[in-house]
Amino acid sequence: MGEKTDQPETDGGTPQEDPTFEQVDWASIDSGETPRRKKEYVWFGIVSAWLIGVVYDVYSQHIAGTGAAEFPVVGIISPVDWLWSITLLVFVYYGLVPLAENRRMTRYYWKEFRKNKAAVISGLFLTVIFAVGVIGSRVLPAPERTPGLENQPPVWGSVEDYVTGNDCPGGTTVVDGVTMCQGSWAHPLGTTSSGEDILRASIYGMEVSMQVGLIATLLSITLAAAVGLTAAYYGGLVDEVLMRYVDIQITFPTFFLFLLLAYTVGGSLFVLILIFGLFGWGSSARIMRAEALQRREEPYIQAAKNAGASSFWTVRRHLLPNISNSLITAASLTIPSIILAEAAIAFLGLGDLTVASWGRIISGGRDQLRTAWWIATIPGVFLFFTILAFNFLGDALRDALDPRHGGSGE
Amino acid sequence: MKWYIIRRTLWAGFATVIILSITFVLMDQIPSQQIMQAQFQAAVDGVDVETAVQAEKERLGLAKPFHERYIEFMLNIFQGKWGWSYEYSQPVREVIVQTVPYSLMYGFPAIVLSTVIGTVIGLYSAVNQYTTKDYVATFLAFFGISIPNFWFGIVLLVIFGTFLGWVDIGWNAAIVKSADGAWVLLDTAGSEHPAFLREDFQGERYIGVLSPQNLKQLILPTFVVMTGAIASVMRYARAEALEYVDAEFVKTAKSKGVSNRTIVAKHILRPASIPLMTIMVGRILGLILFGSYLVEIVFGIPGIGLASLQAIIRQDTDLVAITILIPTFIAIMGNLIEDIMYAILDPRIDYGDR
Repeated sequence: MGEKTDQPETDGGTPQEDPTFEQVDWASIDSGETPRRKKEYVWFGIVSAWLIGVVYDVYSQHIAGTGAAEFPVVGIISPVDWLWSITLLVFVYYGLVPLAENRRMTRYYWKEFRKNKAAVISGLFLTVIFAVGVIGSRVLPAPERTPGLENQPPVWGSVEDYVTGNDCPGGTTVVDGVTMCQGSWAHPLGTTSSGEDILRASIYGMEVSMQVGLIATLLSITLAAAVGLTAAYYGGLVDEVLMRYVDIQITFPTFFLFLLLAYTVGGSLFVLILIFGLFGWGSSARIMRAEALQRREEPYIQAAKNAGASSFWTVRRHLLPNISNSLITAASLTIPSIILAEAAIAFLGLGDLTVASWGRIISGGRDQLRTAWWIATIPGVFLFFTILAFNFLGDALRDALDPRHGGSGE
Repeated sequence: MKWYIIRRTLWAGFATVIILSITFVLMDQIPSQQIMQAQFQAAVDGVDVETAVQAEKERLGLAKPFHERYIEFMLNIFQGKWGWSYEYSQPVREVIVQTVPYSLMYGFPAIVLSTVIGTVIGLYSAVNQYTTKDYVATFLAFFGISIPNFWFGIVLLVIFGTFLGWVDIGWNAAIVKSADGAWVLLDTAGSEHPAFLREDFQGERYIGVLSPQNLKQLILPTFVVMTGAIASVMRYARAEALEYVDAEFVKTAKSKGVSNRTIVAKHILRPASIPLMTIMVGRILGLILFGSYLVEIVFGIPGIGLASLQAIIRQDTDLVAITILIPTFIAIMGNLIEDIMYAILDPRIDYGDR
């Protein structure tokens, strides 16, 4: 991903004579540093702007003590939004930009990807969830507790009037002497027991789930790659120390570690994301180390080392691109597990009570399965299909990218 | 290999100590309930708050230096002195002794059943690779892995409890015990038994772990806990069996005219069962522990998961620590047994260098 390809320039004029091996001016190639391309400058600019913004925000909050920094146009940026923005930028720069630059390969990937129907549908579904979540939670008003509008049924259903709050926008009908409250289009999926609109809460939940899944996965995969590659490249004592640490982290079952941390230090969504990102990367690091150990012995690594490449350069330019298969696979399988963990933690009531997490809404309807079944079930539909779609996508990517799983040939 | 087993066991012990230390440090950060109570009491009585807090700390042993408290905590854990639960007003150990049987009641059948069913489906799927049946099985496995246990439980309760009315939504915890609170396997009791609080009937009904009413309420939670586990076992068994489906010895057996059933049972299952047996202990145990934790909350089973949730809500710190540590410890032991079994059962692996 993102490495340079040496494509011959075509200028459409008279065909240039191919330089023979003797004519190549090796001195000019060796002496001149490869010039950075325009997009790299842009990327450095964006990352520096982001860093400066974060430093300024941290400074004004914790050192100057003047509260959260106000920025022109966007106003106050919350910690989660800082992470969210850099996650999306990384995704665009390392995911979409190379695809857009390399049209031919993109067409080939698409042709291969299209064969897997389930993965295409999953991809579409996730795009919709992502877009609706990101746009919807900025356009739509936030779901609010509305006294009087409790337990409204979904638009196609009706429920005994005493279950709901005082108001009933869908109108009431009398069936067998019982007053029934009809659902209304004002709240297509009904409302919770505190009168929050379930559809809007679910849309807000989409962005929360995507934020948790993607940010924590980026953190976790970056750490896993750093640790796995360092351990594999240096070997010896470094390897031993790093992997023994990973062993300890893996010994602690992930969910219970998350639970313990959420109970003791958790609270805000930001802290939860950090917990998921910083403590769930053990097994990914192991996979990447195993892969990098094989790659380390390849001739091109030896050649780079012999040519005097620094350790960082070798790891960054030669080792990392060549284990990107494992990296992408690990990432795509980490996302659903983290989304599930967040929902479970929120279900237990340890999540951020101010955000509309799917898990929190499900847990809110747990006591009312008899009377208001829609509260606990409807947000879970989104949760289930999001996790399912990520799993399908991850499996398709693994089949396509990982030669060990033997799916690509057939 | 002996050396390997010794090292592996020592490592498990070391990991346990590390995890206990992490738990201690984390739990130490939480303001103690008793101190807050003392603070509140002092404020109400008009006594100096600082002095009252100090006195309470002295009484609880929190005034001691960090390392002394740490050593005390570790010793207490190993001696079974797990502290006091304010939620249940009894020692944490008592709470655990009371709740664990409820968790075992559905957890144990779930482990056994999911291993057997998962292996059978996985083998079947591998033998019939790339047929419709294989695709259906693989697809169902995806559902099993992706469906959040706690939500699946809720959906089943809504369908079978609210709409169809086949099961009760609440959990009848008293049915497994006799009137005086002791666990019974199968017995009969009249309507004065606490399990039949809201019912009025003549004669006697079955109570106990094996009574029809208890078995009926166990079906849904067991099934929900099993879904994820079956799917993982199935995927694992399929991958494992696929390695042998095209093996030379299987081809030889086929060409000699050995029946399909014998090939699967003797030539594929046998070599594939070694890694299968071992994952059963380690990974499936972890899955079931995680799943059951949430499923108990959904179904209202008064097991260790529900105890943990209530402890979390009420900030009952000692109980939270133990209810998280017990599944963690079980998972560590599971992994240890997994690795040792692997070393003993598979003589091909050489552990000389590690």
